[in-house]
Amino acid sequence: MKSIALAIVAVLALLLGSLTFYTLDEAKQAIVVQFGEPIGDVISEPGLKIKMPWQNVRFFDKRLLVWDGDVTQIPTLGREFILVDATARWRITDPLLFLTSVRDESGARTRLDDIIDSVVRDMVSSTELEEIVRSKDWEVDVEELEDPSLAERGDVNLEKQPKLGRELLEAGILERARDSMPALGVELQDVRIKRVNYIESVRRQVESRMIAERQSIAERFRSEGRGRSQEVLGNMERDLRRIRSEAAREAEEIRGNADAEATRIYGAAFGADPEFYSFFRTLESYRALGENSTLMLGADSDFFRYLEQSQVE
Amino acid sequence: MIQSVGSSGSTGSGPPDLGDILKKLMSGGSPKKAGMGVTSVVVLALLAWAALSSFYTVQPEQRAVTKRFGEVVGITDPGLHFKIPFGIDEVQLVATERVLKQEFGFRTADTREAGRTTYSSGEFEDESLMLTGDLNMIDVEWVVQYRIADPIKFLYAMREPTRTLRDISESVMRRIVGNMLGSEVLTVGRVEIQQIAGDEIQSIMDRYDAGIRVSTVEMQDVVPPPAVQPAFNEVNEARQERERMINEAQKRVNSEIPNAQGAALRTVAEAEGYATERVNRAEGESVRFSAVLREYREAPEVTRSRLYLETLNEVLPTIGQVLVVQEGQVGPLPLLDVNRNGERRAKGGES
Repeated sequence: MKSIALAIVAVLALLLGSLTFYTLDEAKQAIVVQFGEPIGDVISEPGLKIKMPWQNVRFFDKRLLVWDGDVTQIPTLGREFILVDATARWRITDPLLFLTSVRDESGARTRLDDIIDSVVRDMVSSTELEEIVRSKDWEVDVEELEDPSLAERGDVNLEKQPKLGRELLEAGILERARDSMPALGVELQDVRIKRVNYIESVRRQVESRMIAERQSIAERFRSEGRGRSQEVLGNMERDLRRIRSEAAREAEEIRGNADAEATRIYGAAFGADPEFYSFFRTLESYRALGENSTLMLGADSDFFRYLEQSQVE
Repeated sequence: MIQSVGSSGSTGSGPPDLGDILKKLMSGGSPKKAGMGVTSVVVLALLAWAALSSFYTVQPEQRAVTKRFGEVVGITDPGLHFKIPFGIDEVQLVATERVLKQEFGFRTADTREAGRTTYSSGEFEDESLMLTGDLNMIDVEWVVQYRIADPIKFLYAMREPTRTLRDISESVMRRIVGNMLGSEVLTVGRVEIQQIAGDEIQSIMDRYDAGIRVSTVEMQDVVPPPAVQPAFNEVNEARQERERMINEAQKRVNSEIPNAQGAALRTVAEAEGYATERVNRAEGESVRFSAVLREYREAPEVTRSRLYLETLNEVLPTIGQVLVVQEGQVGPLPLLDVNRNGERRAKGGES
């Protein structure tokens, strides 16, 4: 009987202990609640804590928490429909207020959903798509584009400097979300746009535009190839003509000089007796006569005269 | 990467023993004897449980964060360590020395096969598809490597630090890619993007005080969206074709110009040959003429006749027809018609 009594006492002591003592984890902060009414300050120092056995403890996370929105389809100012996925970080700063206003985290989440979603929707739909995609320091050197003609696109202004850009847009969303947030005992640390994409139908249009863009670049490359080839061949033709004509000129010069030299030599030699030269040269040309040529001799020419004489004899 | 050791120890061995004890109590036997047995069994069980749960080991790549009554009291290094049992001391193991990795746009599916890693990327298009500054689309896959630099901050600054790192990485990558032209991202921008992304992710994680150190951001496949890829290939082909056309033209140049240069040299050389020949002949003829002239001057009349007749003598055998023309006569008088008669005896006796 004694040991049973001992056991009962031990069990009671344990029960009392578990009702009186509680540990507060490093990650948590707590509020003691007595008959549904919060008592005392927020307890945020971790360790072993004491409370009255009839009091309850409500724990709240002290750390930075993640909020992740649904992917929502929003039209931009330029009427493009895009899918936006935002994410945010928040923490419970005032557990007392938090407890009374939203009770728990899931309550807080639904409120955050409403607020952040609507702010993101407002901001995105009043902003151009370029502003959402590009940052403040957007800069494009049109000269250095792969194809300068791409800069003249009807739908996209490449050089347009964003008024806000991605970072300032996110800062604006955070600011407006904070402003429109009622006192919930939570603090919004930041809101970021995680993903931005086109909806399916726009995506297909963009893809076909990209294809057309690429094809125009490809066509330019081909035409450039043809052009350069023509240029090279033209240069070749020019060089060929230059080389040939220079050679011809030089050859003619050489021949001319030689002819002149020969003329000078002949002149010097034949000038000694021009009359004999004509005679001598005539004889030379007789020698050059070919077969079947006809020789006409004057009846009073020397040859015939001698011939006649010999016949007469 | 995080394991909770204390709580699992407390639920493992206690309650079943208690159940057994109660059953024994109900099933009769001497209460006193049973009481003694119960006490000793309970004490033994408690001792065994205490002994088993007062030690823990920390692996070499890990650090352990120890908490007493929920309050962090320290970090322990690898080795075997003592802790107070019964859930008073709790230990959380964090792999601080390991380089951890997050993949975006693909997942490493299987690394077991010897040395070969397979990847799947098809179903992660949402992660990898993004908009570039010229409002085109691009498919970017990348990897973020990081280490847990501060285990206490890692555990207690944020509730979901790794998920946050994912979100921030995606957000930062999209911001950077959105601030560049698609062609830049595809070609020259990779190193720059890796650099900026690493810095930016780190500074944001520092702002959260998350205890994470980003070591590298590595770009993997960066490609246009699948539907557009053939068009991109076409551009590459066209670029090749351009080079090919230029090369072909150049080839023709290379085959024609040296040839023409050679031909030109030939033309010049031929002209030089002609020149030499012409001058030499002129000189030769001059010398010959001068020599004959010298002799002629000795006896002009005789030499003149001799030359004339000698020449005719040489020429006549090869001549087809000789006509003699007399002044005042109408037609020429054919003198000899040697070839037509096939007769070649036309020589006079005056040689």
